[in-house]
Amino acid sequence: MTAMTTVSATASAVATRKKRTRSVAFHVLVLAVAAVILYPGLWMVMSSFKPSSDIVGNVNLWPETWTLHNYVSAFGGIGGVSFWTFVLNSLILAVGSVVGIVLSATVSAYAFARISFPGRGVYFAIMIGTMLLPFHVVIIPQYILFNSLGMVNTFLPLLAPKFLATEAFFVFLMVQFLRGLPRELDEAARIDGCGHWGIFRLVLLPLMRPAVITSSIFAFIWSWNDFLGPLLYLKRPDTYPLPIALRLYVDQTSVSDYGAQMAMAVLALVPVLLFFVVFQRYLVDGVATQGLKG
Amino acid sequence: MSATTTERGGPAGSGVRGTATSSSPARGGAGKPSHSRADTRAGYAFLSPWLLGFGLLTAGPMLMSLYLAFTDYNLFRAPEFVGIENFTALFADTRFLKSAQVTAIYVFIGVPVKLASALAVALLLNAKHRGQGAYRSMFYAPSLIGASVSVAIVWRAMFIDDGVADQVQQFFGLPGGGWVGNPDMTMPMMILLAVWQFGAPMVIFLAGLKQIPAELHEAAAVDGAGPVRRFVSVTVPMLSPVLFFNLLLETIGAFQVFSSAFIISGGTGGPADSTLFYTFYLYIKGFTEFRMGYASAMAWVLVLVVGIITAVLFRTSRAWVHYTGDVR
Amino acid sequence: MVRTRTTARTAAVPITALAVATALTLSACGGGTTASAEAAPVDTDRDIELSLVWWGDDDRASRYEEAVTLFEEKYPNIDVQTQFQAWDDYWTARSTEAAGQTLPDVFQMDLAYIHQYASNNQLLDLSSQMGVNLETGEYDETLLGSGSVNGGQYGIPTSTNTLGMIHHDDLLDELGMEPPKEGLTWDEYDAWIREVSEAGADQDPKVYGGTDYTGTLWLFIQWLLQQGKTAFAEDGTPAFEKSDLVAWVERTQPLRDEGAFYPVERTKQVEPLTGLQVNEAVTELTWDNMTAGYAANAGSDNVSLLPVPTGAEGSQQFWKPSMLLSSSATTQEPDAAAALIDFLVNDPEVGKIFGTSKGVPAVPGQKDAMEVAEGSVDDTIVTYEEDVAERVTADTPIPVEGYGVVEVEFKRLGEELAYGNINAEEFADQWFQSAESNLGGQ
Repeated sequence: MTAMTTVSATASAVATRKKRTRSVAFHVLVLAVAAVILYPGLWMVMSSFKPSSDIVGNVNLWPETWTLHNYVSAFGGIGGVSFWTFVLNSLILAVGSVVGIVLSATVSAYAFARISFPGRGVYFAIMIGTMLLPFHVVIIPQYILFNSLGMVNTFLPLLAPKFLATEAFFVFLMVQFLRGLPRELDEAARIDGCGHWGIFRLVLLPLMRPAVITSSIFAFIWSWNDFLGPLLYLKRPDTYPLPIALRLYVDQTSVSDYGAQMAMAVLALVPVLLFFVVFQRYLVDGVATQGLKG
Repeated sequence: MSATTTERGGPAGSGVRGTATSSSPARGGAGKPSHSRADTRAGYAFLSPWLLGFGLLTAGPMLMSLYLAFTDYNLFRAPEFVGIENFTALFADTRFLKSAQVTAIYVFIGVPVKLASALAVALLLNAKHRGQGAYRSMFYAPSLIGASVSVAIVWRAMFIDDGVADQVQQFFGLPGGGWVGNPDMTMPMMILLAVWQFGAPMVIFLAGLKQIPAELHEAAAVDGAGPVRRFVSVTVPMLSPVLFFNLLLETIGAFQVFSSAFIISGGTGGPADSTLFYTFYLYIKGFTEFRMGYASAMAWVLVLVVGIITAVLFRTSRAWVHYTGDVR
Repeated sequence: MVRTRTTARTAAVPITALAVATALTLSACGGGTTASAEAAPVDTDRDIELSLVWWGDDDRASRYEEAVTLFEEKYPNIDVQTQFQAWDDYWTARSTEAAGQTLPDVFQMDLAYIHQYASNNQLLDLSSQMGVNLETGEYDETLLGSGSVNGGQYGIPTSTNTLGMIHHDDLLDELGMEPPKEGLTWDEYDAWIREVSEAGADQDPKVYGGTDYTGTLWLFIQWLLQQGKTAFAEDGTPAFEKSDLVAWVERTQPLRDEGAFYPVERTKQVEPLTGLQVNEAVTELTWDNMTAGYAANAGSDNVSLLPVPTGAEGSQQFWKPSMLLSSSATTQEPDAAAALIDFLVNDPEVGKIFGTSKGVPAVPGQKDAMEVAEGSVDDTIVTYEEDVAERVTADTPIPVEGYGVVEVEFKRLGEELAYGNINAEEFADQWFQSAESNLGGQ
């Protein structure tokens, strides 16, 4: 008896040690990969605090001399347009996009998932198809259309599509989510006398909150980072959102003023990073589990 | 209708359902195809924004761009019909061919490398250790910001002469020199940028891996299968719907890369057109030179190519994608 | 059957939308209306709003704001709304506005584009304003003529420019070398570059004699003029042969092969600056008004100007208006717009504000008003233009339609050449291809 317990005790001790070594090895490996992956981001942030001359060849993250001068330059804006104007423009576009997308995607998803009507199958197939379509096949005619309506140089060409559910991705996301909600809820509401609008507004929409939140976050971030749209439609510096302002900034500052460029790049990403830190669970869970239910 | 659901580019994904085989919305328990008038009215009412958007901003423009592809149009004067001249000019245009080549390299090398990295890290993270959530988020973060202007600027700053990349190279005894000014190194630099954003597909792979029932692995191990054999015979087939989904998504996304190339090359297409991606050249032709007929022709060629590739992916998927519904 | 009915109905919606979209857009294509041309002295009692747009950087923006403030003091009833873009975006924006008939009341115009805009009836013919709201008495005839297309006056030049060789004297001192002698030939210049690059090879960073000038269309044109050839024909197509272009490219090939030019890899790295501005190249052939900016970026006032290399028949240099001011054909306020243009080109205070940042002012009154410190960069440019005046014997080459696009193409091909991707024949072939599709309007 004792011999066996000793053997098994030793065996389990060995096993625990093996497990711990494996655990350590795991963490070391993952941290190594993570370090490489996160390096560019950290480099960007740290460089923004270094004087420009120290940035380019400097592999070291930690600044030898800390300076806030870069941020002062960045906040100075460009050509008389203040930095905060750019932030405001980005904000208007992003919030507008979120509102438009939530409104139009929820409503469309409800139609696809919960109402039976002729042509639904065809439309659904078409909607899926638009997700596979390279966007560039429509940019020229859209531009011509908005130009003839006199909407170029306004935010309208960037916001209107969001209100018309052109981002099929979000519609699809919500359809998938709705499919997970039991039809009995609809039935119950119908018995209580609700029509479609009532079912939608009072029963399903509140339950769609996770999908709405996930969508809002992505919609906000995508709009915040959007470059091609604003590039095409916004021509006046005082209407530029941050990505375009950033580009103008880079074009203007002499090539050696990397410090200011880094500072502005960091500032442009702050909201995205904030969102990420606060909502990371929604984002990552949304990505991972949305469609992989049971 | 194909058996899998798909979606357009972006970091998030509604993954493929393991068990679903139809992509049309659930017909619910009833399944009776009766359409009441009230339902029809409601349906169209709820769908009206989408219908309007589709007609005005997608279908209409698509038809218009098809028309424009056969014209010469510079926004100043009315479109002038030129037949297939744009298309013949395209294939004689060295810059067009270069842009097609650049994009092809990016797609056919970049996407597999990115997915392989995503899968590798997902496998790594799949073991039961603490801190998973944190690590997952850490790897995911770059995908959120990767396509932004800020990152493009940083990337450029890191890969110039005497930049960070240069220093690292020299440290390892490799020949120095920046990547940005060297037409041979700009594509590797862009691919690195793409691979850096592996976090999004990785998260999806991870979720897919977690769905594989442990019993399958145990059963295979009991049968004497080593880790490699298990990977090939259990993991890959079980993961194949997710793999297919990621492959489709990333490929279509890779064809549309634009802002990073634009910023890194300063709006020119890089030294000697080495970063002249297809969509970039389309933009230049359409919005800098205002040859909109020509650019429309380019757009339709892109649609065709992407369509063909998508169709091929779907067709071949039947050979290697297993849905759990079938396996049991 | 329900199915067929719904299919038809399904199709109806998008098709209607399409019809609407197409109708709207096609109605907007094509030419536009022009403002009536009766000029009257500008109103001073009612409120007028003008839009003013330019290309440039922060520095130019602040100068314009100053000038605008002065203008608004003179005309308290006029409010000027300003806007600017970087060069690339500038023309994209103008094209869009042109298509939508909404070009600004006053905006900067370039020789490369004036023909295109004027022949498409996008610009206001200022001839009727001359003598009323717009004084052009002090202008040199040929200079004013550069803004004239098909008999109408569509742009007023603000300042003059001519080609020159900027040389960085600090670097020369470091290397212990002499600047090139004035009036040297192209071959002599090439030889000089070689010498300097050899001397500078030991420096860290390496210093080169000059930047590869093959990819600059204006320099090629200068070289053509020196051979007694013309650049463009009346109809806007090239008046020279492919063999001319091949000769131009081939003559500098030895320098590229030897690595005597500032390397193209470095050029790409330091964009938008150039080799001279980062203190790595000693000379550069470019427009004289760039000198101020170059000196500022190089961090040294010790840069000077020499004429460009000469040909067998002399320099044949020409004046080019560095930029012009134009007005939209559809402006609601032609009189006020003309008054603003008049103010910007004639007022001495404005001359002081801008200095030589746009080039040497075209109007002598502005030129004299500039506060030019002796030995300053401004002084260098002004003196240069005075000195070189006798070498300026050629007429300004006709501004042809589509020039802007083929100029860019020329530069791009120069880059491909520098990377060794194409040879002289291919350069000429591809450029002529581009010229064919872009030049010689309809």
